Amino acid sequence: MTTPLRKGLLVGAAGLFLASSVAACAPSAQGSTPQKTSTITGPYKDGTYSADGDYISPNGGETVGVTLTLAGSTISAVDITVHANNPNTKEFQGQFKNGIAAQVVGKKLDEINVSKVAGSSLTSQGFNKAVETIKSEAK
Amino acid sequence: MAHTGWSVFSFDGIGTAWEISTPEDLPGHVRAGLLGLVEDYDRSYSRFRDDSLIAGLARNPGTVTLPAGAGELEQLFRKLYRLSNGAMTPLIGDSLERLGYGHDYALRPAGHPVPARRWEDVLEWKGSEISTSVPLVLDIGAAGKGQLVDLAAAVLRGAGITEFLVDASGDMLHSGRDPLRVALEHPYDPAQAIGVVELRDGALCASAANRRAWGDGLHHVLDGATGRPIQTVVATWTMAATAMEADALATALFMVEPEVLAEEFEFSWLKVYSDGHAEYSAGFEGTLFS
Repeated sequence: MTTPLRKGLLVGAAGLFLASSVAACAPSAQGSTPQKTSTITGPYKDGTYSADGDYISPNGGETVGVTLTLAGSTISAVDITVHANNPNTKEFQGQFKNGIAAQVVGKKLDEINVSKVAGSSLTSQGFNKAVETIKSEAK
Repeated sequence: MAHTGWSVFSFDGIGTAWEISTPEDLPGHVRAGLLGLVEDYDRSYSRFRDDSLIAGLARNPGTVTLPAGAGELEQLFRKLYRLSNGAMTPLIGDSLERLGYGHDYALRPAGHPVPARRWEDVLEWKGSEISTSVPLVLDIGAAGKGQLVDLAAAVLRGAGITEFLVDASGDMLHSGRDPLRVALEHPYDPAQAIGVVELRDGALCASAANRRAWGDGLHHVLDGATGRPIQTVVATWTMAATAMEADALATALFMVEPEVLAEEFEFSWLKVYSDGHAEYSAGFEGTLFS
């Protein structure tokens, strides 16, 4: 999962970079390419701004949508959408929608209000009986 | 019990405990129909009893006629065999027996792991007709319990019952307007859950590597390409329209990337790894405790 996600983040950075005409302060990390930096300066009106940008990714041509929310001339929110131009990117987007939890957290069953449990502890009586037999023989 | 006040019909079948929950008591003929269905299924497919159709093929190669539903199993296994490059296969039975998970429950390996035979070499399966060229231990366990859950649901619907929960020890199918809260059992502690899902009009199935484990690194989910137990993924959950698909996909997630499965199946998935991290599709968003 890590590789596609990393690629996804790269796409995101490119999107921000191309959105420089919307808000000059956004791509400050992209200082190595000053020729692309917008010369428009603030102050900016508060509000939400959207723009699309095209770029060439390793997958081919892509369109990235960026939505910025400005408040007091600073960016309060950034939302990046990669429009799926080709199948590879669609796949990345599918993976974006999937989630990752760093560590599962257990709670005691009697502390949560549920009707049923889905798992495998009860799955095989024959198996469980055999394990019990082996345990008793091993004593 | 599923919902408060519901009636529960409990019985044992195909080696596991069943609970069928309905708003009203099930009539006697429906109960008898369900028990007959489960017994017929076991007599056809069990590799744990000597008088099953499958057991006959383990002794002598030949042709047997399975029940009508075998065609759906064939389609499902064929698709998953292709998507997993042979890793998920109904021919895994001999590999399981080799490691000690056979009809005698020896639970002691009889030798080094053996890869499953190739489908195209030894098995002809067309609908309900199965022909083999060598003695084979067929194992349809990855989807069989799910299919039987679906068949039990069909019996209930046939009797005019529209609200129910069929629960075969954790693999379940829900029908009705009120969603059911279901805990996701902790892979390492059956007294705990790692999350809760709301199940409504669909199936939820689970597969775990750790439960039926009988030795150092030996458990019942094997890679057909090597015949060895699979490491790293410890538990999976799936939601799909049918329990047969959900059941099979829960096993398939141990050997196939979910993105590959998602190209040919409509389902939601959750995978928990041995290092404790989890990955999930949108359908399981918000279900895990944090």
